[in-house]
Amino acid sequence: MSLTTHEKDQPVALTINGLAVNAPAGMTLVEAAWHGGVPRVTGVGCLEGVCGSCRVMLRRGKEVAVGLACQTFVEDGIEVIFLPPASAPQHHYEISDFKDSWDIHARFHKIFPEASRCRHCHGCDKACPKGIAVEDGVAQAAAGRYREAGETFFECIMCELCDAACPELIAPAHVGLFSRRITAHFHLRPPNLINRLEELRQERTETCRNGDSEE
Amino acid sequence: MSKGIPLAEALARYRPDTEIGPLPELTGIDALLNAHHPDHLRGSLVKLAVGANAGDSCQRELAGLLQAEAFIDEADLAGTPVTDVDVLVIGGGGAGCAAALAAAENGARVLLATKLRLGDSNTVMAEGGIQAAIEPDDSIQRHIQDTLRGGHHAGDPALVATLAGDGPEVLRWLISQGMQFEQTSSGDLHTRRAGGMSTARLVHCRDYTGLEMMRVLREAVIQHRSIEVLEQSPAVELLSNELGQKCVGAVLTSMLDGRLRIVRTRSVIMATGGLGRLHLNGFPTSNHLGATGDGLVLAYRIGARLCELDSFQYHPTGLLHPSHLAGKLVTEGVRAAGALLLNGLGQRFIDELQPRDVVSSAILRECKEGRGIRIDDQHAGVWLDTPRLERAQPGLLERQFPNLMSRTRVAGVDPRLEPLLVHPTLHYQNGGAVIDVNGATTVPGLYAVGEVAGGIHGRNRIMGNALLEIISFGRRAGATATADRDRGPKKVTLEHVNRLRRALTLAGLPMTQRAPQVLPDYATTGGAWNR
Repeated sequence: MSLTTHEKDQPVALTINGLAVNAPAGMTLVEAAWHGGVPRVTGVGCLEGVCGSCRVMLRRGKEVAVGLACQTFVEDGIEVIFLPPASAPQHHYEISDFKDSWDIHARFHKIFPEASRCRHCHGCDKACPKGIAVEDGVAQAAAGRYREAGETFFECIMCELCDAACPELIAPAHVGLFSRRITAHFHLRPPNLINRLEELRQERTETCRNGDSEE
Repeated sequence: MSKGIPLAEALARYRPDTEIGPLPELTGIDALLNAHHPDHLRGSLVKLAVGANAGDSCQRELAGLLQAEAFIDEADLAGTPVTDVDVLVIGGGGAGCAAALAAAENGARVLLATKLRLGDSNTVMAEGGIQAAIEPDDSIQRHIQDTLRGGHHAGDPALVATLAGDGPEVLRWLISQGMQFEQTSSGDLHTRRAGGMSTARLVHCRDYTGLEMMRVLREAVIQHRSIEVLEQSPAVELLSNELGQKCVGAVLTSMLDGRLRIVRTRSVIMATGGLGRLHLNGFPTSNHLGATGDGLVLAYRIGARLCELDSFQYHPTGLLHPSHLAGKLVTEGVRAAGALLLNGLGQRFIDELQPRDVVSSAILRECKEGRGIRIDDQHAGVWLDTPRLERAQPGLLERQFPNLMSRTRVAGVDPRLEPLLVHPTLHYQNGGAVIDVNGATTVPGLYAVGEVAGGIHGRNRIMGNALLEIISFGRRAGATATADRDRGPKKVTLEHVNRLRRALTLAGLPMTQRAPQVLPDYATTGGAWNR
């Protein structure tokens, strides 16, 4: 669909949440759902593939896939089901609880005990609408390579479709986010920021001292 | 708009390697803004007749919503289930999450209600970065000056000083929450200079700064023991005390089944964002689906004073093609990295790093005067010359702008090979609820943070100050709202709604329209939310 080729206006017949919809080619599935008056399509947000809300299951003949409705275009005969929002995550941690980075690996396996049980079914890789090597990322995190794992998950939009696809309930999206957060929390110490914070602290102390002497 | 150079002709003329003539000198910025900025379109402004801003100028479509009828009556409240919390946060973007986290850190029980999914917001789409004066040649003072100058000196100096002063500490807090930023080889935070900045001050995470920020804050909120999250639950009204003078809660509805719920609380923090999806003056928007100005409407109805209701930001580089991304942004970071804007004749027409309102006005001028590139009878734009940028710095687009590349790839467009067609898009509400340095509005018990608040950006926001504002003021409001030791409301009423109805009747205004809008009309067909 580059600038020079013209979009066809030929209508395409598909079903969305079980309803027959006719939509012009070139429409996304979200636009088609609105166009066709499909009720209860509430999981729509940014319309540009970064918020991860408009998760859909797609059936083309016998082949079933998942994706984002705002990033998928209408096709003849495709069956589309808007998926309900993901349920609350099963793992719990607050980053302020972590004081020591030496025991982080042990804590990771307590928080995500499933992460080392990957059966390499590739379900998560196939589910990812951003083409992330999800399985590799989980393996990197399980091996304690959080910086690498975080980089693998860099484009993750937290749609949690990989979480839904995992038979071992690994929650890869959250494993990836944990890896990124831990890396920043413990290792991001930029000199230019630290210097400025120190300057501001000294200025504040000085103002306080001057303020005291004036009183 | 039948004027302009046809697409095929402009494309045939375009070469990424032709010599570009000198930039015409920019004279008369005020005249350019007056003639071409959409805020100055004839007939787009009216005077408000009722409320705290009666007599002030306001954009016409927004005025209709501010002076509209409510959805809720006293009769609706009878038998509605009640939830009691310390702090209610309305809105699940960056500002709402920062406020909720600060309130929870200070010991409050927090309920965060959001219309869409938690994190589904304009924050998540922010690409460019966040401003903080951290480079050795920079200072808080320069950040203040740039912000005030960018806002045409209409900003509140106390708010701007607070914003700029918080910058370094905000970055430190974000890092402690687990947010990553781009670093130089020596480990410094990488900074860029963007439009309206006198020096490099924009800290970023490639072109996914907002996504990185939002996924970290979203996870922090979900995992926090003292924060409860209600998704798909827009607020349709605030609640006031018997005198209608203090905000003591809100009425939420559910997008799934339409049921109401009353929340009683010591303080409400409004973090509902902007109003791009009202498509003011018929413009496309970069905003997410929920940006319908609900917070402004509710705050105004309960008596809060608003400011700059006639000033909106039209981002210069909204995409014109592919059509499913119409109005969506190409980050200013691409221009900061060196990409030029060219008209249909292949000429530069504006310094690309002028403030956004100036660049947008210049693009609108080119289109209006027939030098734009016309794709059909209604739409024309100008080139954002990404292929030339790629030639000058091979690999840069893939490396620094993966978000742009992946969004265009879906539609088979490659910005390395063909220039992008862009046109200004409704991006940001410069004004909003009047606040103090802790986000308190003029109504006791009601706070406003983020895009719904006003006074910081004057009449034009410069890049990177929005992500800073939502954290700086979000955290301030969260902490201050928690410190409010009022023991909570005895009675929750709709006294303020009755007051507004009386005023509307006295002013002879029709009460046919209802507000808040909640969703744009094109997205409400057959849904549970159907006005």
